[in-house]
Amino acid sequence: MGVKVVPRYGNTLKEKSYIWAVVSGMRLTLKNFTTNLADTSKIPTCEYPESQPSDITERYRGMHRLTKRDDESIRCVACFMCATACPSECIFIEAEERLDGVDEKQPKSFKIDLLECVFCGYCVEACPCDAIRMDTGIFSIIAATREEFVIDKEKLLSNRGIFGKENSRA
Amino acid sequence: MTHIFMILLPIILTVLFSLVTIPLLVWMERRVAALIQNRLGPNRCNIKGIRLGGIVQPIADMMKLIFKEEFYPKHIKQKFYYILAPGIVFGAAFLSFMVIPYADDVTLNGFTYHIQALPIELGILWFVAIAGLGVYGIILAGWSSHNKYSILGALRASSQVISYEIAMGLAIVSFLITYDTISLNTMVQQQGELLFGFIPAWGIIMQPLAGLIFIVTAFAETNRAPFDAPEGESEIVAGYHTEYSAMKFALFFMGEYMAMSASSAIIVTLLFGGYQIPFLNTEVMHHHINLIFIGLMIIVPLLSLGFIKWMQKNNSSDESRRRETKYGTILITIFVIVFDTFLFYLLTSGISYDLGSVSIMIMQILTFAFKVMMMNFVFVWVRWTFPRFRYDQIQHLGWKILIPLALLNIFITATFVVLAGV
Repeated sequence: MGVKVVPRYGNTLKEKSYIWAVVSGMRLTLKNFTTNLADTSKIPTCEYPESQPSDITERYRGMHRLTKRDDESIRCVACFMCATACPSECIFIEAEERLDGVDEKQPKSFKIDLLECVFCGYCVEACPCDAIRMDTGIFSIIAATREEFVIDKEKLLSNRGIFGKENSRA
Repeated sequence: MTHIFMILLPIILTVLFSLVTIPLLVWMERRVAALIQNRLGPNRCNIKGIRLGGIVQPIADMMKLIFKEEFYPKHIKQKFYYILAPGIVFGAAFLSFMVIPYADDVTLNGFTYHIQALPIELGILWFVAIAGLGVYGIILAGWSSHNKYSILGALRASSQVISYEIAMGLAIVSFLITYDTISLNTMVQQQGELLFGFIPAWGIIMQPLAGLIFIVTAFAETNRAPFDAPEGESEIVAGYHTEYSAMKFALFFMGEYMAMSASSAIIVTLLFGGYQIPFLNTEVMHHHINLIFIGLMIIVPLLSLGFIKWMQKNNSSDESRRRETKYGTILITIFVIVFDTFLFYLLTSGISYDLGSVSIMIMQILTFAFKVMMMNFVFVWVRWTFPRFRYDQIQHLGWKILIPLALLNIFITATFVVLAGV
């Protein structure tokens, strides 16, 4: 078994006096300060309300949406898989019989309480029909009352995905 | 009229340097911190779209603190001391400004004016006495808050001040040996001389070790990072001001910034030549007043041009910023034209000795203000570079390193003075 000798730092006079560490630390912060002051456009932060984030990836979990079939009808079959998988129990589904012959069941109402939701994405994984997705890229959800944070089926259907795959192919 | 104004001038300057710099320093602290950390910092506060880089922010902060509820915790028995404590911190910080010379003595109409709010000769002793007094407010706050965190913070502050005041006093002793006086104005006058004919004889060059010790102890005296263990929020919430809110907290806050500004002023006075412009002491300036005026006529437009260029590059991200830049450019251009015309008029009409004295005084006050702001920048810069010292490290540095070094420095200085017979 080989022995790895770990070098110990901080015992030389130069390191113990701290002067060089102090000087190099202050040089670094001064360099940051002067470069940023000379050209503020190089600062990597984004000025939020005016410039929106441009680095939202396909895996980002934003606000939910319900996908549609090719004939623009709802894809959800009200199987309750998402509501069962949900760890924060924020999905409320009421099922009804589907009469147009496309499928047997559809949700009468489909509500998500966004204040309860933890945006874990389990509902998306649980869905057997690819009917619920979180690819809207909406990260800022604003409302004046608690009730407004409970979004209904119409709102979920009106959300659009931002990554091009509009309708579900499943 | 001139007589009264010249007597009131140093008092006005003291108020300006201590009170008016507070909002500036708060703004500077936040913006410099942001730029050091690669972000922009608070720049959204504006009056009708005019932001000036967010300099209105401290006014908004102050408004918030003024209109907060005056809240007194129920468990506080000694309400008088509880209210008195922030006042002591604030007052002590304010008083330590009184002895700083802002410019050289001015002789007008045969009367010599000291540009010093309290024209006493024992300047440095006054500073040591008053600066140490500020910690009484902190102790009182910690005790009267009747709270374990507060008392721990106050104890930390007091022990820190005790251990660093010794090193500070010893560093000052080496300066006293070097300058052979305790009057701050005489010290600054001596720093206007040249060493070997080409180096300004500033304190930091005459006494580099004592200068370093003085700067470190001044940081510890003001309870600023990296010596802000009394407010160590990781262990003792907010230290001595845990129970304070609204304007009482604001007094502590402002007192801290004022103490920082006062420390900067005394550091500049002792170490960096005070109001002296390098290579130009008062006599030299009187001799070459015409040349200095011509130099100003060239330097001020160049600086303004640089600032306008910077503004056009970095302050034109949207419509209102571009408008602000346009107004700023126009205002600065008008100022430069008026300034140059005025100086040209003075030059052509001939500069009398009194006029020279007044203009030299103004230049020295501005130099002093610039140096103090630079030193304040160093305070801010250090705060956002170094992490907080652990409590035992503070004591170790104070007792085992700084005090022996300061004693050694006194020994070396005294030996040199005796042997060289200076």
